[in-house]
This record gives sequence, C-alpha cells and structure tokens, in this order.
Amino acid sequence: MRRNLISAFLVLVAALLVVGLTLSRATRGRAAFSFVNGTEPKTLDPNVMTGEPEGRIAQELFEGLTRLEASSLEPAPGAAESWEITPDGKTYTFHMRPSARWSDGHRVTAHDFVYSWRRMQEPALGSEYAYIMHMIRYAEAFNTHAAQADALEGPIVKALDELVAKYHGVVPQDAVREFDSKQRLHGVLKGTPNPKLSAFLLRPSGDSSQTELLELRRELKTEGARRRALHDEAVRHFGVDGGAYAKDDHTLVVELVAPTPYFLELTAFHPFYPVPRWAVERSPHAWFLPGSIVGNGPFLLADWRVGDRIRLERSPTYWGRDEVKLNSAEALAIENVTTALNLYLTGEVDWLPHNNYPLDLSLDLKKRQDFYVGPALIAYFYRINTTRKPFDDVRVRKAINLAIDRESITRDVLLLGQLPATHFVPPGIRGYVPPPTAISYDVAQARKLLAEAGFPDGKGFPKFGILYNTLEAHKKLAEVVADQLHRNLNIEVAAYNQEWQSYLESETSLNYDVSRGGWVGDYEDPNTFLDIWVTNGGNNKTGWGNLVYDRLIEGAANVEKFLAEPAFLLEHAHDRAALKLLAEQVQKSSDAATRLDAIAKLRLALLAEAEGILIRDDFPIIPVYFYVISGLVKPNVGGFYANLVGADGQTRSNLRDLHPLRSIEMKAAGSTPAGSAR
Amino acid sequence: MIEALTLLFGLALLAATAWCPPRWTRILGSLLFGFVVGVVVRFSFGGAGGVVGGLVAAGVAFRFLPLLVLRRVVFLVPALVLLIFATTVLMYKAPGNPFANERASSPQVEAALRAQYGVPKNANQFFGIYMRRLLVEGTLGPSIKVQGRTVEQLIAPAFPVSLSLGLLALTLSVIFGLSLGVLAGLKRNSAADYLSMGLALIGISLPSFVIGATMMIVFSLWLGWLPVAGWGSFKHLVMPALALSLPSSAVIARLARSGIIEVMQQDFVRTARAKGLPESWVIGRHALRGAVIPVVSYLGPAAAAIMTGSFVVEVLFAIPGMGQWFVKGAINRDYSVVLGTAIVYFGMVILFNLLVDLAYAWLDPRVREERA
Repeated sequence: MRRNLISAFLVLVAALLVVGLTLSRATRGRAAFSFVNGTEPKTLDPNVMTGEPEGRIAQELFEGLTRLEASSLEPAPGAAESWEITPDGKTYTFHMRPSARWSDGHRVTAHDFVYSWRRMQEPALGSEYAYIMHMIRYAEAFNTHAAQADALEGPIVKALDELVAKYHGVVPQDAVREFDSKQRLHGVLKGTPNPKLSAFLLRPSGDSSQTELLELRRELKTEGARRRALHDEAVRHFGVDGGAYAKDDHTLVVELVAPTPYFLELTAFHPFYPVPRWAVERSPHAWFLPGSIVGNGPFLLADWRVGDRIRLERSPTYWGRDEVKLNSAEALAIENVTTALNLYLTGEVDWLPHNNYPLDLSLDLKKRQDFYVGPALIAYFYRINTTRKPFDDVRVRKAINLAIDRESITRDVLLLGQLPATHFVPPGIRGYVPPPTAISYDVAQARKLLAEAGFPDGKGFPKFGILYNTLEAHKKLAEVVADQLHRNLNIEVAAYNQEWQSYLESETSLNYDVSRGGWVGDYEDPNTFLDIWVTNGGNNKTGWGNLVYDRLIEGAANVEKFLAEPAFLLEHAHDRAALKLLAEQVQKSSDAATRLDAIAKLRLALLAEAEGILIRDDFPIIPVYFYVISGLVKPNVGGFYANLVGADGQTRSNLRDLHPLRSIEMKAAGSTPAGSAR
Repeated sequence: MIEALTLLFGLALLAATAWCPPRWTRILGSLLFGFVVGVVVRFSFGGAGGVVGGLVAAGVAFRFLPLLVLRRVVFLVPALVLLIFATTVLMYKAPGNPFANERASSPQVEAALRAQYGVPKNANQFFGIYMRRLLVEGTLGPSIKVQGRTVEQLIAPAFPVSLSLGLLALTLSVIFGLSLGVLAGLKRNSAADYLSMGLALIGISLPSFVIGATMMIVFSLWLGWLPVAGWGSFKHLVMPALALSLPSSAVIARLARSGIIEVMQQDFVRTARAKGLPESWVIGRHALRGAVIPVVSYLGPAAAAIMTGSFVVEVLFAIPGMGQWFVKGAINRDYSVVLGTAIVYFGMVILFNLLVDLAYAWLDPRVREERA
C-alpha cells in the first residue's frame, strides 16, 4: 500500500512538472537580442504609462510623429513625413507618411493622433503624464478645468464658508494658510488671470478680515464659472477644429499656447504616440495585451509573460521595416540586480541598462571593455522641510548646504565619476547656461550662518533626522551626510529609513526634516527639473514657495506672457540687463527663425533665473550629486550609441540611456571575449 | 475602532462554531456548501444553473457528507470572509495607497483611478466592493500595478510554476530529510548521527539565498553546467529546487530523528522484536509509521508555504512564480493582489491540513478509531 502511495505521489510530481513547464516554457528560441528591463511594466498603454521600463517597450511598439535617431537622439521624421512651423513658432502642420501602417494593416492617419491626444487629456483616463501636453491649445482646459470648477464651486467655497463662520471677524494667518494648502488652491488656481486671486495666492503674511474673505469667495465663484466656460469651449474645439486636429487623413495641425523649442522631441515621447481607436474601444483597459494590441512601431508584441519577459518581433507592416535589423528581441523583467548581472555574465542577455547591476561592483565592472559610463539627466538631492523650525530660517538651510563636502562623496563613496551637484539642473543640456551658485564646501561660512541663526557652534540646534527610502545606497549616503553635518556644524543628525510607501506618505504630508529625493528628467530641458518647485506643486513637498520663482516658471512656459508684462520679473531678477537684452532681441527680430531662436534663449534665461533662486537665495533643497548612466553591453551589439553625435557634428552624452532597438544589429558572434567581473 | 470590534465579533463567532450542535452544523454546513458550489457553478454554467447546482449540492451534502467535513465547512466559509475583512482593514491602515507614486498626481487623477479600479478611500466600502466582485462577478478584481489583468490572470500562470517547483523541492526534502533523520536516529551518538545533524544544522541556519548564490557561482559561473537563472527547462529547476528544499529537509531530518528514537523505545517495537521479526521489518513496517507522524504534521503547513512560492528563491533565480505577488502586492499596496494571494494561501493551508488529517488516520490506528 505504501508503495502504491509513493508511486502515486511520483506520478503526481511528474504530471505537475510537465504542466508547469509546458505552461511557462518559452515556445520560441532565444531572441536575437535580449536585455534586462528592470521592473515589470505596469502597462503598455502609451497614454497611461510613466516609467522607464514601460517607455523602453513602448518606443518599439509605437511611433510618434517624430522618432529619435539612435546616433544623435535628435528628432527625425516618424509617422509624419514632413512638417512646417509657422513663423510665430506656435502652429505645426504635420504631413503623414503615406506608407505608415498599423500592425493590422490600417493606415496611420492624422485622426489616430487626434484620438490618442484627446484620450490622453480625458480626465476619466487618469493619465499622470497628461500635463506634458498642456502646451497644446485647449489641452489643459479640457483636462483639468472641469474638476477645478467643481472644486471651486463646491468644496473650496464650502471650506471658506466654514472658515468665516469659525472665526468671527479676523481670520488668523495660519488658518488661511491651512485652508490654502488643504484645498490645494495654488494648483486649482494655476495660471488665473484674476488679479485679486493672484494677489491672494501671493499674499504677504498677515491675518485676513472677514470682508476680504467674502470678496475672495465671490472671486472664487467667478473663477469657477470662468473655468467651466473654458472647459466647455475646449470640449467643443479640442481635436475638432482647434488644439490638435486633422485637416484630412494626411494632415495634422497642432496649435501651441506658446512656442516650445523642444516640441519635436516631445512628439517622439510615449505620451504623444498614437493609439488605435478601434482596438482601444473594443477593450478599453486591456487592449495592450498580446493578441489585442495594435501598434505602428518597428516591433510587435509577440508575447508578454508577467514577471518573466516580453517578446518583441519585427513588424512586417512598419514603413521602415527594411532598416530594422533585429528579427526579435526580449525584455526580461528582473528586479534583482545580482541576477541581472549573472545573466549578462553567462551570456543570457546582451544589454544591462543603467541601474541594473549591483553598484557595489562598479569599481570592478569599470575595468571591463563592455562597460559604458557617462553623465545622466538625473539629480540626487535632499528636500528640506521649510515649514519646520529651525529649517524655516534660510540661513540654516544655507549653512547645511555649505557644510556638505560633495567632492568627497562623489570621490570616495560613489566611485563612478558622478558629479558633485552645486546646481539642481544636471549639466549637458544644450543651450542652457547655469546661473552662478552659492553652494560650495565652506565650513567657516556655514558655521557663521548657523551662529547668526542663533546656534553658535551648533548649540541648541535640535536633533533632526534624514529620511530615506529603504535601500543600501541611500543609507550609505545619508549616513555620510549626517556624519559630515555633525563634524562640521556640531549638530546631531540621524539617518533613518522607511519603506517606499511610508516614505512617500511622510514626504507628502511634510512629516520629515530632511528627506532624500531623486529626479529624472523627462526631456532634455531645464524645465523638467524646475517646474516641480512651484508653490504647492505636487512634487514640491518642501512647503517652500516663492512668488518670483512661480512667475519665472510661468514666464518660461509662455514667453509671450512675460514679454507682455515684463516689469515684475525684471525688477526681481538677478541679471536684469541680460533678460532685458534678450527680451529686446525677441521684439526686434524681424524674421521667424531669429525670433524663435531669441525666444528659446530668453526662455532658458528665465529658467536660469529660477534655478538661481533655488541655489543662491532660498535653498529649499540640498543638491548632492548628478547620476551617471552606466551599463554593460556586449561588444557584438552594433548600432548602440553610448555617445551621441549631433547633426552639427558635436558630440554629447546619451543622458537618458536611450537606445532604440530599431537601429540595433548583432554583429557576427565569436567576437565576445569570455570574461568575468571578478 | 468599529473595525476592531467587528473583528473580535467575527473571531468569537468563528470560535463558537466548534460548539455548534450536530444538527445545526449539518443544516448550516450543507447550506454554506451549497452556496459555495452554487457560486462556482454559476460562473461556469450561468445563473439558473447556479441556483439549481447550489440546491442540489446542499441536499447532497445534508444527506451524505460526514459531520467532520460539514463542521469544517461551517468553520471555513466565515473564516474566509473574516480573512478578507481583516486583510482589508490592515491594508488600509498601512501608510500609502496603490496610487501613490514618486511623482505626485493631481487629486483629480487619483479620483479617476480610484473609480476605475474600484478602490474607494474607505476600507469598509472596499470590502463591500470586493465581496460583490467575488460573489456576483466571480473575479478577484483588477490588479493596479500590472494593468489590464485581473488577479486571477496573474496567479493562473504563476501558480503552476510555484507548484511544480514546490513539489520537486518537497519531494527532495522528504527523501533527504527522512533518510538522514532515520539514519541518525538509529545510529544514535555515532559519527553518522553527528554528521547528519551537523548537515541539518547548516541547512537550518543557512538562508536559501546564500545556498542559492553559492550554487550559482559554482555550477553556473565556474563550471557552466546549469543556467544561472530563468525558467523554461528542467535544468532551470535544479538549483532553485535544491535551494528551496534544504531548509525543510533539515527540519524533517531533525523531526524524523527524534521520532524514530522515541518509537524505538515503545512496547510494540519490543514485542515485534520479541516475536523474532527481522530488524528491517521492525523498522520499515512498524517503527517508521510512528516516527513520521511529527514529520507529517510539519509537512502540512510547510507544503502550503513551499508550493505558494518563495519570494527570495524566485527573485534570485528569476522565476515567474507566485512568491513575487505576495511581496510585490504588499509593497505596492496592490490591494486586490494582496487579497488574492492571501486567499490562495488560505486555500492551500486548509487543503494540506486536511491531507495531514487523512494521513494521520492512515498512519496511526488510534486516530482512526477515535474518528470512526
């Protein structure tokens, strides 16, 4: 009987093994090219996705009006064959490529882009990247104004009424401030033309009287009605005859709110990809799964095994299929960096993108021939909670900034040639001249500042914590920084960690003193680093706000608005003369090209002014270092550009580690040297 | 506070089922059994079939199922509801939410996503939505971090992977553990005993990621015999199964050793020897049965744990199994995934405990008589 049982058990084991293996067995052989893609992609819907692993797959499955040329990462014609830009830089007319096809054979038309962009701005879709399209006319109103109007006419007015009822007569400053941040007024009222409301947002400290608040109530309601009207107008026009609309199947017209020099780069970015209406409408939340997905990019989604791998195969319908060299590619979802490196070393994968190998081994890996490293568009910094004492004192914030030896951190701790950050915008962005900075390693001045703030020799300075999300690398750095602050300023600092979600919650609710942060640039422009610090911005999380800063960011987003009313900013700017000169150049320029060029320059100058406030005047953050991109790629992988050569012949770094598979080709095997990391 | 009281009340109710009189147990048990069968049938054959199937199942259960099984049903169904409720409350108490991100999204975006995924801000409402999904729509709900798929679509391909790996590991542990343990127990205080128990100590103390990493270095990076990680062939299974089996083989070895030592001193063994049975017969036929009882009781929960996947081993060897969803679900606060994995684990624990009970009855005549 026992024998029976044992054999039954063995049969069961065998059966289940077979089942398990058949279910998950790779039915296809190894792909021509495989790479580690980090975390499992959350979605492959280009209108919804936000992360890097998702973006790496999306750029192969879809193609925007433009695409980035691998060797230069400059925009090249994609689904659009050509385009014209009007002299004011605000209207683009794209001509669709007649040979562009979806993977199911449909033609790629202008209507596909209109549908996708309008879908992206649909509030019900809940796209986190919707704002990236807000330079398109009507998009912002279409996307945000209905909810804002609801908030203004509903909860905000109600909260204001409660505030007025609670305090008879004078309402104290703190209560008003709390009302402001709780109702996210800065966000809801963003860009309001109403002078009274902007005055309220920018109000100096002080209590408010009942009459003031009642007047505010009236204005809020007016603003709500105004936004609702704008929203209704946007619904009527956006994608129909305004914003971005199809003149016919072959012609897409895009109207921008303000000239945007990097717009053609954006159209190569996933939020701007087209999505197939017929497939999306058939299955709105799962259309991007294998079997139902329809794409227009160089590759097709052949298979997607969650927690394992994504298989791509060359698309037979892609217009540029003859330029695509790879027949297939695989993206492995592997979060464990050691496993990723092992797979690379044993030849299972051909490419480890940045951040996908154990950083502890960088010194060893650096010696390898197949290792590449270069600057990155990523900043590592600490946020300072400016609402807490003593950090509400700018002298304290500056003192902390001056007491950190960034050189020694990058030299002795990070080891890969990361750059010490005395700015917040990483270097290497074309055309951007960083402002002078006040951040340096100057312990004497730091001590002096601390003494001025009332803590001579660190006496009486409260003990505080540096918060980081649980990760060895963050821990190491936080401890080094804490130690430096303790030695240089004689203050008590402790580093402590929280797991990811708790850490996010602590940051958002301003329940920290100093907290680790990192920011990856979405596109090569300082704006992606600077617009996060506007007052009460969702990613600000420092409690800091500065009226001049907000206006500078606003002016950079819409230079014409600044030109119409330059007085305020010119008065507060550091480099008034330069701004004035640039503004004059714009107005004087006769032809379109020089005007656009001047606008671009003025825009970057405004952004530089804004950055100056962060690193010279207010110090709401402590920049620490700029990341490097580093990874491993097999020597027989061709068409892979760790360094770029622009159309102008200038070389620059591949700041975002972007490597379109479209141009990758595998050279003859045998050239791979057998090597090991140790 | 209300949640805590509800939980307490639920626990009390659950404990009370043990004192439920046989007649009521029979009625309640068959009704619940019919209900569960009805829900399952409904999603296979449609609404009317569900009602009919449920009624038939209830009748059959009332008439034929033994009280022992019905008593379990009476306990299980409320326990499952309580499990879902308690997990929901705990998830909502944890800081953060499935939509929190490094990049803040506007309240409007969050509201849209909450509506789309059916995750309100209130735990009780979510519990209601979840139960409705489970009973009315027959789904474990959409995953938020792996969009476009439901939790059952995530678990379905991952479960067989963990199951086959787990079964292999479990078989290995039983073979290794039993032989080492019995050997050690029989040759007590000999070199063989010390060696086996030394090995067991190493097996217990070395975490599987250390064992796994060591094997990777030796067998993949140095010798090149086995693929370093991944899934798809039998070769891929060898190292993870070994790494997974070592800790439990060590426990089994120790349990088997003490089991056999105890049994060998029992009267019935002396009797068997006295009537002149050969030693191998005494051990194989009589002693082993008694000695494996502690092992079997350990195997129940251990099997449930091993077969639902080990996060550490899966991550180390890049295996697309169940273990990842336990951890990722919790880290991402992907509520439906957390609940789905909890339910699967609950089911496995119940199933294996039932198997253990049956095995007891087979191994130990005394248990059989008590139950009869």
